[in-house]
Amino acid sequence: MTYDHRQIERDAAQWLARRDAGGWGDRQRAALASWLDESTAHRVSFLRLEATWNETARLQTLATGALQPQPPARGSWQDSPYFAGLAGDAPAIAPTTVRRNKAGRSHRTRRWPLLAAVAASLLAIAVIMGGLAWQDATHVDRGEWQTTLGAQRIVQLADGSTATLGSNSQLRAALSRRERDLYLPRGEAFFDVAHDAARPFIVHADAFRVIAVGTRFDVRHEEGGLRVVVTHGLVRLQSAQDPHLAATELPAGSVALVRDGTVSVRQVPLDEAREFLTWRDGYVAFHGTPLAEAVAEFNRYNPHQIVIADPSLDALRVGGNFRLDNSAGFVRLMQQIFPVRAESRNGNIVLSRRSGRHRDH
Amino acid sequence: MDAWFVREVLAHEPALMRFLHRNWRDHDEVSDLRQEIYVRVYEAAARQLPDSPKSFLFATARNLLADRVRRQRIVSITAVGDLEQLNVLEDELDPDRWFSGREALARLARALDRLPDRCREVVWLRRVEDLPQKEIARRLGISEKTVEKHIAKGSRLMADHFHGGTGTGTPRNDRQGLRARIRKPT
Repeated sequence: MTYDHRQIERDAAQWLARRDAGGWGDRQRAALASWLDESTAHRVSFLRLEATWNETARLQTLATGALQPQPPARGSWQDSPYFAGLAGDAPAIAPTTVRRNKAGRSHRTRRWPLLAAVAASLLAIAVIMGGLAWQDATHVDRGEWQTTLGAQRIVQLADGSTATLGSNSQLRAALSRRERDLYLPRGEAFFDVAHDAARPFIVHADAFRVIAVGTRFDVRHEEGGLRVVVTHGLVRLQSAQDPHLAATELPAGSVALVRDGTVSVRQVPLDEAREFLTWRDGYVAFHGTPLAEAVAEFNRYNPHQIVIADPSLDALRVGGNFRLDNSAGFVRLMQQIFPVRAESRNGNIVLSRRSGRHRDH
Repeated sequence: MDAWFVREVLAHEPALMRFLHRNWRDHDEVSDLRQEIYVRVYEAAARQLPDSPKSFLFATARNLLADRVRRQRIVSITAVGDLEQLNVLEDELDPDRWFSGREALARLARALDRLPDRCREVVWLRRVEDLPQKEIARRLGISEKTVEKHIAKGSRLMADHFHGGTGTGTPRNDRQGLRARIRKPT
């Protein structure tokens, strides 16, 4: 079968742009869904545009700290400290900014110093205004929130940011004119940070500080350390104990694990990073996840703990979406597809290996 | 299924585009071929997920090119022999690396830089500054409909530049070389 793929792509782009404009209701969503269902050619075209469109959120990394909402000059990216040392095709990034001097050596025009000068003068103005507002500067907004096991809570912070607290979590906030300090002594929280370049947003957890300007990220305590997932913008992860240790920069799509004070970072597509945040919608997504990890996920949310009695079960792999409040359903499913037996003991659910056809001697 | 398609298939688009540009003489048809391949892969995968999505994608691509060649009957028969021996370079970047932080960012920045001025500005304000379309229209003094058009155009161009990434060289410059390559001498 032949399609007019170019026309389809234009239609797909129009759907994407219209949805991006916002204000959609059920009717528009249904209309898009039926257009997608009409043919696979529609669907693959839309998915392709949407995937790239989602990825473009990564560009926010380059905007952190910029004071004027205007795109930088073409090709000025490569002068950003963020790209320092990135191997490869610099000329392809910006052929127009490569100039040759008399000696014939090429050098790049530097635009960042100019930006820095503009930023500095704006900062000077900010300082003067800050002086006028001195009385306000000493004001600190404080708050403290907690959740019980299995509960979730959305907290509106005084600066316009939101924090979503996961199960069994605790959060304290101290927002001053200079800094926004959040303390997460236990549990997990997802932060949607209101952009304010002048006031860094700092989450203190264990011996680490997670620093952001305007971004979305998730911090949680895990056995043996912390996990930070960034879905938007750029976050800096810094050891609070050892300030000389270089901060780790985490752009959108990063999953950072802290174990024994050591940070390891993995880059994943943004869609995959968002799957770490499905707990906010009350479910969890597994893809070939070891059973032990899947069980730990449910245990964060349920008073009835699941215990794996037979370590040989740890390695079984689990896939699919599950409601976090339905650990009983999860256990039932495990019994159906795996050689697993579940027993209730002291209010907990104990999983052991089912002997099956081969009886023990 | 959709997420699988994005992760396992679309991630190979740069390699797929290089493959198509190398092996198909009419570069204007390459994006149509690509979409046709995607349709076939998606529909086959909906029935049964392939074990190796990448191999399946390129097998589908080879079959489609071979079909086209047979149907057109314009290209010399030696080209078909050529097509069946086509190998996908295995040293292509794997998708994890392709999507990894700084490189992906550099490619995005490059893709953005290739947009026309106004389009680039609108995409920047929308995606980087996170301004709603309505607010962008107000700031730039243009209608919301125009903003929407820039977004639509930007999404198409960004996808081509980001995934397709034919570099800065225009495909047309390469045409001679490619045509020579597909006409296999014997």
